[in-house]
Amino acid sequence: MGEPVKGTVTSLSSIFAPEDAQKASVHVQEVISERQKEVQQLQAFLNDNTSLVNLVKKLPDQLHHDIMVPFGKAAFFPGKLIHTNEFMVLLGEGYYAERTSKQTVEILKRRGQGLESQIESLNAVIKDLKFEASFFDETATEAAEGIVEIREDFVEEAFDEDKATTSGDDDFARILSRIDELEKEELESELAEEGEEKEEADEADIEPEFRNLEIKELLDIPVSKDSHIKVPTPSGSNTPVMPVDHNILKEGLSHAPMSRDEVEVSTLVSSSSNVSSKTRVAASSSSNASSKTSVPASGPSNASSKTSVAASMSKEVSNFGSRSSNDKAFTGSIVEHTHNIENSQKGQTSAPAPTPASKPVSRFKLQRK
Amino acid sequence: MAAVRELQKDLEAKANDLSKIQKDISKNHQVRKKYTIQLGENELVLKELDLLNDDANVYKLIGPVLVKQDLAEANANVRKRIEYISAELKRLDSTLQDLEEKQNSKKEAMFKLQQRIQSLQAGKDKA
Repeated sequence: MGEPVKGTVTSLSSIFAPEDAQKASVHVQEVISERQKEVQQLQAFLNDNTSLVNLVKKLPDQLHHDIMVPFGKAAFFPGKLIHTNEFMVLLGEGYYAERTSKQTVEILKRRGQGLESQIESLNAVIKDLKFEASFFDETATEAAEGIVEIREDFVEEAFDEDKATTSGDDDFARILSRIDELEKEELESELAEEGEEKEEADEADIEPEFRNLEIKELLDIPVSKDSHIKVPTPSGSNTPVMPVDHNILKEGLSHAPMSRDEVEVSTLVSSSSNVSSKTRVAASSSSNASSKTSVPASGPSNASSKTSVAASMSKEVSNFGSRSSNDKAFTGSIVEHTHNIENSQKGQTSAPAPTPASKPVSRFKLQRK
Repeated sequence: MAAVRELQKDLEAKANDLSKIQKDISKNHQVRKKYTIQLGENELVLKELDLLNDDANVYKLIGPVLVKQDLAEANANVRKRIEYISAELKRLDSTLQDLEEKQNSKKEAMFKLQQRIQSLQAGKDKA
């Protein structure tokens, strides 16, 4: 795929030693259990509080209650509980207050609320600790299993495109062929109109080349670039370019898509530079086409020559059309040309440096998205 | 050799100091905890006292005796106690900080001593 990406591989066990992670996890578990004990204690207080509230509510129901009064450690004697509505409530710090049953209940309720808030905060703390413990456990197990952390520099290449293209071969092929035929007809009609100027002769030369290439390459089903092909279709100006694109696609089928960017750039540059020199290009393309068409489409040299042919052809097509905006036509087509064709470009298309390659790629991506 | 021994004695002395300081720090922590709890309790009492009617009876437990107190008096007493406890807490905080600084400096001194001892010993081993 792309060039080897620089990256670092660090074993998790080197960063977090498994024993340490386990120890930490155990430690956190202990802390958790401590907090839980505290929560239980507070809960017990809360329960006592509620039962006390009930008792305090019930006492004033009678004027006096008959009870067994504790006397010393092990004795009781019968007695009466009077003043059933007077309670001496401990406020804290050795302070007592005389209150009625209702007021006592209120005091107790407020205390209960305080307890509840304490319990809640403790529970939150326990939750956090549990998360910590689970994290430690996970790291311990991962480190033990030998999971490795890999960091790579992010290389923004069209890796997605690669993956996208390697699926659904047959359907794409069929669709492609249909699109081909449709666009052939369109192109022919257009060319017929516009070719009435100087370029008639060139067109005549080139069109048979087009058709030859198309026919030959129709058999080679392009594995990829369906998506790419579809992209320019909506834009009407690109349709005449389509057949050329398909040709080129089929040409450069089996080749690695690596050189995409560079070829794109090269075609763009060469096309823009050679707008005026149509005739020359036509001649060269026709000669190229005739010489190379017979050669089977396999091997870098063929790819490169075909690319140049394709490039020049695409130029022709765009030049024929009244669209002087080479950019529009070429962005779609260029992308398609360059995809499956390898890098080893000769002639016009090899000169440009890959640095401007980012632009066509990004434009393409924009189109797609 | 003698130099190394001296340095080692020095190191031991410093280690003792450090442990003392650490004990002080832990004591400080405990007292702080106690005071914090008391402060919380007193604030609760103050809240409840504020909710009382003026004619309610307030008693204070002094030893085994429940003594009747005036509500206003009780309020004043509780407030004073709260102030006292807060002041104590602040004092303890500053003491704690001092102790921590001393602890850090002692640690550094010990570390340096250790390094010196190591370098000396390394020198001796070579010789």
